[in-house]
Amino acid sequence: MSYLVLACTGLDKPEGSIAREVALRLAEEGEAEIVCPVVLNRTPARYKKALADSTLIVVDGCATQCAGKLAAAAKASVADKVMVSDVLKRSGEALAPELRLGPDALELARKIADEIKAAQAAHSAEAQAPDQALGEVEFETPAEFAVVTHDKYEFRIPLTAYFFNANDVWVQVAGGRARVGISDYMQQRLTDITYVDPPKLGAPIEQFDEVGTVESTKANFEVVSPVSGTVVRINEAVTDAPESINEDPYGSWIVELQLTAWDEDRGLLVDGPAYAAEVERKAAEE
Amino acid sequence: MAESTFMGVPRSKIPWAPTIDYDKCDFCMECDEFCPHRVFERREGDMKLVVANPDNCVVFCRACSKTCGPDALSFPDKPATVALIKKLHAEEDQARAEEGEA
Repeated sequence: MSYLVLACTGLDKPEGSIAREVALRLAEEGEAEIVCPVVLNRTPARYKKALADSTLIVVDGCATQCAGKLAAAAKASVADKVMVSDVLKRSGEALAPELRLGPDALELARKIADEIKAAQAAHSAEAQAPDQALGEVEFETPAEFAVVTHDKYEFRIPLTAYFFNANDVWVQVAGGRARVGISDYMQQRLTDITYVDPPKLGAPIEQFDEVGTVESTKANFEVVSPVSGTVVRINEAVTDAPESINEDPYGSWIVELQLTAWDEDRGLLVDGPAYAAEVERKAAEE
Repeated sequence: MAESTFMGVPRSKIPWAPTIDYDKCDFCMECDEFCPHRVFERREGDMKLVVANPDNCVVFCRACSKTCGPDALSFPDKPATVALIKKLHAEEDQARAEEGEA
């Protein structure tokens, strides 16, 4: 398995040094080829062909996301993103403030590199053997839309079969399962969507938890889950081609969940016509 | 303009907005550049950035904190906020029902 890795170079905080170490490890183990962020920034043409031919793993130290922003500017197809500060937050570990890495920091870099390798291996195995155990549920294709016009924009909202939360996330429910995506209004506000970071399969989600993020050239959008449930499926057609959300926001579901509290969740959602009124209000306020 | 609401609850009753940790903030202004809702405002003096319009913040949105390199932005506890909104939502429902009866 081979791919490219782009890491921030980390001379302003130790998280950056760890990101760099992760890239070095992946390269040494023959897993990945390094894309130098400094060269990519200065001379993007150098990597044009490689980025067009391969997928890219982005390793950032912190939320400034220098490497991620470089990847977006280079229009690279990003297969996975890791942020060292997030990994640290989740584990509750703290780093010594030195840029030169001590044994604990090196161990953390090894762990992150191993996780990237495992995720890539799992991804290619999944692609070869799709999950057969999970039965198919038929979700309705929207037929009728309300159209809200504001200036030169037109926002479409399906009148039936979809529910919405106040965070512009839709849900479609069938056979105890739900599909979740973002509304036409939100995709137009985000403009060109460049990356979808889905949650982990099997993750338990409470209503209003984050169920992935959608990144565009303009903003990062946290997908606030309209429902509670367990993630049973990720729409790889959408994670592989994030722009499909711009093209077809109501067909481009991001995750499928097995519902756990639909009756209760429903009370805090609105239907299509009510959401159309909400979009009208929001568009007027902008 | 009508008072803004979130899930039928007056926005002003929901305490959801970022808090800036001034020990960490380096005033890079990434969050302010990112947020389209004018939650932050730039000022003269030591506190070059403040949370000027907390009620403009989109409830449950934490996207600005994801642009923050020094990790200086924090938000209220999410489950507690959900519980509060559910409670307020039920109260609003009840008030509407009572109004209907009257």
